[in-house]
Amino acid sequence: MAADKQTFDEVDWGQITGESDRELSPNFLILLAGTAMLLLIAAFDYFFVTGTYDAAIGMDFGNQYTPTFDIIGWGYDVTQLDWLFAFSLLLFGAYVVLPLYQNPRMSSYYWREMKRNRPAMVSLGWLIFIFVIGVLGPVVIAAPRADLAVQYQPPVLLSIDTVYPIRCVGPVINGACQGTLQYPLGTTGDGKDIFNIIVYGMQISMKIGFIATLIVVSIGTAVGTVAAYAGGLVDEVLMRYVDVQQSFPTFILYLLILYIWGASLFLFVVLFGLFAWEGTARYVRSNALAKTEEEYIKAVQLSGASTYRIVRAHIVPNTASSIITDITLLVPTFILAEAQFAFLGLGDSTIPSWGVLIAAGRSDLAFAPWITLAPGMFLFFTILAFNFLGDALLDALNPEAEAESE
Amino acid sequence: MGMEWYIVRRVAWAAIVTFIIVSVTWGLMAAAPNPEVQKAATQAAMDGEDPAAAADLARQRAQLDRPLHERFMDYVVGVYTLNWGWSSTRNQPVTQALIESLHYTVQYSVPWTILTVLIGPLVGLYSAANQYSWKDHAATGFAFFGYAIPNFFFGIILLLLFGVQLRWIPIVYNTDVAVFSVENAIQLSVPIFVLVTGSIGAIMRVSRNESAEYTNADFVKTAKAKGVSTYRIYFRHVLRPTMVPLSTTIVGYLLALFTGSSLLVEVVFGIPGLGRTLYDAVIAQDTSLVLGSVLFFTFVATIGNLIQDMVYTVLDPRISFEDR
Repeated sequence: MAADKQTFDEVDWGQITGESDRELSPNFLILLAGTAMLLLIAAFDYFFVTGTYDAAIGMDFGNQYTPTFDIIGWGYDVTQLDWLFAFSLLLFGAYVVLPLYQNPRMSSYYWREMKRNRPAMVSLGWLIFIFVIGVLGPVVIAAPRADLAVQYQPPVLLSIDTVYPIRCVGPVINGACQGTLQYPLGTTGDGKDIFNIIVYGMQISMKIGFIATLIVVSIGTAVGTVAAYAGGLVDEVLMRYVDVQQSFPTFILYLLILYIWGASLFLFVVLFGLFAWEGTARYVRSNALAKTEEEYIKAVQLSGASTYRIVRAHIVPNTASSIITDITLLVPTFILAEAQFAFLGLGDSTIPSWGVLIAAGRSDLAFAPWITLAPGMFLFFTILAFNFLGDALLDALNPEAEAESE
Repeated sequence: MGMEWYIVRRVAWAAIVTFIIVSVTWGLMAAAPNPEVQKAATQAAMDGEDPAAAADLARQRAQLDRPLHERFMDYVVGVYTLNWGWSSTRNQPVTQALIESLHYTVQYSVPWTILTVLIGPLVGLYSAANQYSWKDHAATGFAFFGYAIPNFFFGIILLLLFGVQLRWIPIVYNTDVAVFSVENAIQLSVPIFVLVTGSIGAIMRVSRNESAEYTNADFVKTAKAKGVSTYRIYFRHVLRPTMVPLSTTIVGYLLALFTGSSLLVEVVFGIPGLGRTLYDAVIAQDTSLVLGSVLFFTFVATIGNLIQDMVYTVLDPRISFEDR
């Protein structure tokens, strides 16, 4: 801005108009740099790492398995979904984590508010645990592999009658096979390590949570704020479209789509992202409507800010609390939907997700209940944690709600 | 421009929405390869005949060789005259198959809905009345538990406990018993319990937060001051304003649950209802039945949304119709 001691008539308005507005924030720069890097690696993956020739088997696998970072000796196959996941993490970092660091005063206030709520702190810890293990685990741990020789191994501290497993890895005491640390959570009927599947399942759940939510929040917020601020015909058209979307349950739509084209996790995430934002849009709209009546918006309008700037710089940040609360309630519904489809056997059968595991253990419930119970518990606690967190965030970000209730 | 005009417009819009949905589903189906044509081609190839000719024949039989707009018109007329095609797996018209499955779905969804609508707000009210006491925490904990535990997972656990271990309920739903009999009530109790615990959580939370707002309102204080009994205060003065915002979300919320959960719960408990029919049709590639069930679910959702908006306008006299 111009020097402090100027009087009004001395200010060089031309200079100020020139320098203001289109200033790039560090958040945006980080996002831009990160996106550019992602695009570069993606381009590298697309143009140079196609159709690997597997020397061991002597076959060309085409696009089946293409370890992107083969050059540095890292055999991890980056899929379409991974790119989206990386991008959504980048956005999350630039626009959720970084702002918390940039505003230490508000962050410490939120932190104090959160700390008062013990279940929320436990939930936050649990979710961070799931997130870190889910993102890093699959990079280190090998993908779950079927091995019939080690089927139905019990988890640590539990045992199973020796008639069920072919061979018992741990010691046999009184005709019961004991669990070992080699398979801490036991194995499935086809000998897959349950612990491995759960770690991979964490990543899948986090991908669904982050990517689908990112799409939902972007579209929902854009539609909601624009409808509220623009009003008139724009509002009418957008909201009537929301009505249509609301009348076509996403669950049923996905069922129809997978019937026609087959299921894949990518399709699931994108479809739920693109067609499940009607609730968010309505919610944001009603919140933004209340905000457009506020004095500060009128003041910004009077000072000649553009519509885009009002929506982007004033309405969206001021509805952020309702958006964030909405997210924490949205993420578990997506994770649950994936588990439901997987359980029905209509999901992507190639992925090791929690729902697939729950379904796999269903027929063995009578003698090997851990196959279903272990992933079910993880699913339950994750959904529970999101709900507790959402509840606490509502109180922390929106002090008015608490003041009213007390 | 009063309420009547708003309701007329709202109903008209609901009709347009169903038309849009019918068109979209048709578009999706028309854009995709027809499984029956593919089946015919594969069959012909296996028998050593010309797959292309067989595919053409199948296409002709399914009348796919006619121009798009004619097929669309036929389809739309068919949908609105309830001529929804023939289900090849069940060997009966799609509409009849749907009505038969509806018979089973209604048996558990009516008690489920009634229980949810009755218990949810009451538990929320109870929680708000005893705010921050152990009773409140217990009710909140129960609500969160029911909300967070996946219905199908909970269903499996209860089925293992009551069906396999204790043998109180049949493992697969028995369709031979009469609708209003003790046996039916017993075998439906567990699925209904699972669904109710899953659905009252969110409703209880909303009603707790809403009624907490009114427990300290001036009109409640006035009522207390003039000696109105506690029950009367809560049921007449707190519950009623609470029901207004609740009624706007409850229908949509229950519907969303209905479409997802009914499918899962029916598959877990083996109830041959609507969700199960849709699931079986998807597995067996019965296109007409898939389309019919999908349309049925979307119609239910449309009507539900319509009812929700109507209830809102009737219940809350404060809303203005000018800006809607």
